[in-house]
Amino acid sequence: MSEVLPDFTLLQPATIKQAIAALQENKSARLCAGGTDLLVNMRRGLVETQTLVDISTIADLKRLKHDQSGLYIGAGVSLREVAENTDIAKHYRAITDASVSIAGPSHREVATIGGNLCLDTRCLYYNQSHWWRKANDFCLKYKGDICHVAPTKKQCRAAFSGDLAPALMVHDARLEIAGPDGIRHITLNELYSEDGADHLNLSPAEIITGVHLPPARAVSGYRKTRLRGAIDFPLAGVAISCEKTSPENHQFTIAVTGTNSCPVMVELAAPLSDTLSDKDDAEAFFSTLAKQVQKTVTPLRTTTTAAHYRRLAVSAQAEKLARQLWRSTS
Amino acid sequence: MNKPIKSHAAGQRIPLVDGIEKVTGKAIYTADMETDDCLVGRILRSPVSHGRIITIDTSRAMALAGVKAIVTGADCPHTYGVIPIAMNEFPMARDKVRYRGEPVAAIAACDAATAQRALELIDLEIEELPACYTIKEARAPDAALLHDGKEGNIERDVHNEFGDITAGFNNADLVCEETFDCAEVNHAQMEPHAALADYDGERHRLTFHSVTQVPFYVHLTLARCLEMDTSQIRVVKPFVGGGFGARTETLNFEIITALLARKACAKVMMRLTREESFLTHRGRPQTQVKIKLGLAKDGRILATECETVQLGGAYAGYGLVTILYAGALLHGLYDIPAVKYDGYRIYANQPPCGAMRGHGTVDVRHAFECLLDRMARQLNLDPFAVRRANLLSAPTRTLNDLLVNSYGLAECLEKVETASGWNERRNDLPPGRGLGMACSHYVSGAAKPVHWTGEPHAVVALKLDFDGSITALTGASDIGQGSTTMVAMATAEVLGVDLARIRVVTNDSVITPKDNGSYSSRVTFMVGNATIEAAKNLRHILISAAAKKLDCPDEDVECTGETFWVRGSEQSMLSFAEVAQTALAEDGTITVKGTFTCPPEAQGGKHRGGAVGSTMGFSYAAQVVEVAVDADTGQVIVEKVWAALDCGFAINPLAVEGQIEGSVWMGMGQALSEETRYVDGLPAHASLLDYRVPTIVESPDLEVHIVESIDPLGPFGAKEAGEGALSGFPPALANAIADAIGIDANFLPLTPDRLMDELTKARRAARRKEAS
Repeated sequence: MSEVLPDFTLLQPATIKQAIAALQENKSARLCAGGTDLLVNMRRGLVETQTLVDISTIADLKRLKHDQSGLYIGAGVSLREVAENTDIAKHYRAITDASVSIAGPSHREVATIGGNLCLDTRCLYYNQSHWWRKANDFCLKYKGDICHVAPTKKQCRAAFSGDLAPALMVHDARLEIAGPDGIRHITLNELYSEDGADHLNLSPAEIITGVHLPPARAVSGYRKTRLRGAIDFPLAGVAISCEKTSPENHQFTIAVTGTNSCPVMVELAAPLSDTLSDKDDAEAFFSTLAKQVQKTVTPLRTTTTAAHYRRLAVSAQAEKLARQLWRSTS
Repeated sequence: MNKPIKSHAAGQRIPLVDGIEKVTGKAIYTADMETDDCLVGRILRSPVSHGRIITIDTSRAMALAGVKAIVTGADCPHTYGVIPIAMNEFPMARDKVRYRGEPVAAIAACDAATAQRALELIDLEIEELPACYTIKEARAPDAALLHDGKEGNIERDVHNEFGDITAGFNNADLVCEETFDCAEVNHAQMEPHAALADYDGERHRLTFHSVTQVPFYVHLTLARCLEMDTSQIRVVKPFVGGGFGARTETLNFEIITALLARKACAKVMMRLTREESFLTHRGRPQTQVKIKLGLAKDGRILATECETVQLGGAYAGYGLVTILYAGALLHGLYDIPAVKYDGYRIYANQPPCGAMRGHGTVDVRHAFECLLDRMARQLNLDPFAVRRANLLSAPTRTLNDLLVNSYGLAECLEKVETASGWNERRNDLPPGRGLGMACSHYVSGAAKPVHWTGEPHAVVALKLDFDGSITALTGASDIGQGSTTMVAMATAEVLGVDLARIRVVTNDSVITPKDNGSYSSRVTFMVGNATIEAAKNLRHILISAAAKKLDCPDEDVECTGETFWVRGSEQSMLSFAEVAQTALAEDGTITVKGTFTCPPEAQGGKHRGGAVGSTMGFSYAAQVVEVAVDADTGQVIVEKVWAALDCGFAINPLAVEGQIEGSVWMGMGQALSEETRYVDGLPAHASLLDYRVPTIVESPDLEVHIVESIDPLGPFGAKEAGEGALSGFPPALANAIADAIGIDANFLPLTPDRLMDELTKARRAARRKEAS
């Protein structure tokens, strides 16, 4: 048995415009497509809403197109469809790697791109039953005063746990967002804030309608750190794209998820230059890359697996992936 | 009507006779039995790890419309527990709470939403007491005691010594000692806990359905706690979705559901969430094993010394038995002339532990096989050679007086050594890859039952009537292991009739003979033997009837089951129907029974606790694990497993293979990724997302070999097949990891983060060595 779902009204708008209107009319309404994260949280008493706005049947959200202008994925496209798309696998490999790694097949059948981008942050003190959290005096993210992970500060440290975001980030994705005031476009960096309790920069009546990626110029990949080969959220995840920006230079773009309250870009001082005939210089580059990943991410005790392992493992995977990508472009 | 085609049953690969119901969704489990007139039961659980209950005020909850009954600890002053001499748990806490999640009250309401709301309206006032969560905290001199009279929070301590330990270590060429820390694990059975209690207020009778493995114990416990006569209680076990020991004792929610039903004079359905199933727990305790071995340079084990400390949670439960099993099965696998064992079962403010597949023996076997392997390495001996230097010779009795009548370990070793290419491949593997092996064993049922009533240990009844169908009636609890199929096959084998002629009716206390239940892997051995006896009795009746009709002596009757004739005169052939009719004409409906009792010589030694570990026969297993380890991330991939199990005789090889696979796989879960984790006594693992049972992605290629040593006392020579291979996997994996990356890990599970720490330590040590 699972906990009882609270009573709610399910609205099923046929168009994006109607969905926005529904959100405006019902201030506490939540969007629902696959619902694979939302319903679990509802059963646990983490979501206070009387209204769900079901956008899973809106055709306008399900467009998937690849042409000379790049790749467009509607927010309502399922993870399975993205995972199986051969164009994406060929040109935006990180997205395929990320999609395939999410949850399990039955989730991916109904879960959507938009849903994964808007995934709620996670923490071992938060993702528990009502009884559990009440016995623990709740927490800063919901109904309590203290962040059990970092008790001396007043900031929620719940970790962002979506796999798709970093994969899209390393391909310069731009989000298309529809709201009462029309449509706007932002980068993924602009979507997220590093606040575990309030990580999405979206107004209440706004809907992510799709994501656009420019034509791929880089090879890419995504590697997920977790204990099991399926189902688990990322303990950490790293997406990397490697672009040959000139005959001699390789530019790496790196984004990490699962460690901070939002996905983070890892800044590298310089690209990898092929004029370095010395093998040691290339080694030094990748070693620096790994160290930079370690320095950038700040995982805390939001999972039962030790934070230092998440840092070490993701940097090791980043180094390995970066090398693989570099070799494939050389 | 078509004549059924006779087939010889035992030894055939037969899909489980209730498989169709399971895979088509027709099987009815306890939670499926909901009807419109059921009330919904919910339990209020202690939010505090340790405390004195000051007040429980249920008045606001009782006033809520739709609430039909509320019970608290005041409604049941009787303790309960599976071991009669160690019952210190109440179904709902009285005076003290001892773990977060302990039931303190329960509600029966008209629907789930009301029940949930009502829980919030019960006012609970508890005066908190200091709590202890680790072995160190619990044993500290100033630790708060969980139970009166249990100093040092020791529930039980066990000490025994066989042979001359001092001489053994003195004569040894190599003596080593290591300590292993094994995390607590949970059964994570697929079906969450549930119970359905129907109290007839007119006749004062209780009908009870639940997920139990032990309907008999539940029956006795309900009578005790409800102060009812056992004759007024009916216990029925529907399909059960996995047990593994989670349900080998009466569980608190079962008693609570019955109490609610009686108070409301109604039907109450209690369905626990997955979190609550984890809180009910009864899993394998966190265990610290200190093991010392003395070996001769040819690999013979001259002495074994073992100290085991188990952190058993807040109540006694099976604790006494678990700490005894841990020491008992140091014996019975190898020929060891001197064994010393000290065991300590410790209380802590966490959900109580219980029995789990391999009960008490798994963590000790892990420590033993790991240390044995490391010492083999030091002595420059091959791991297989070391095992072979220590084989028993059946028939024999162990030092602690356990029976070994059949012993197929040598053949198991041979099979997996050959199949894995051990000798050819081990020194030739690429970096990061390794091969490891280990042996294990387990009992085929505890030869001494928990309740010493003098009754046979198993009784099976057979009924034959006018329709020509044979019904086997048994209390044997099928929990997915296929006991129902085993009974059908044993009956078919002895009678020679077609399997389709047989039906098995199970687990209804008003219909089926009592059975002690599905625990310690007793059912095939004990119920199998009882079935054979019953079938022989029935066969005798049928032969006599045929002889009468054929006008010849009994001994001249030939029978293939579906046909009977006089030897040498095939034209006299009679059909089963004709013979049955003749038999029925004598005295109507034919009912026979068969029984089985473990003889006293199998019931263990005279020393204290000697009954635990006693068995009619041990299963034996050897396995090889091939592993690939990523030294950058600590990730372990189990590439392939070769497992051989001596089950005496495989009555149903299909089912036996499934059991070997399942037990290896469960060992793999404990070895790779399963562990409970508590945060001040709150479970951080209480979902199937956070409690990491391996997925199909982790599942290795598993090659299974069945070895048949034909036990002289087993049914058709069979012994158990469901637990023997489990405790061999964790050490085989650990030994493979040692082979792959040179890390000797002293912990379970072997998770990437822990292995990374070991790798980091090893690298630092190597750099320091290099520098100096």
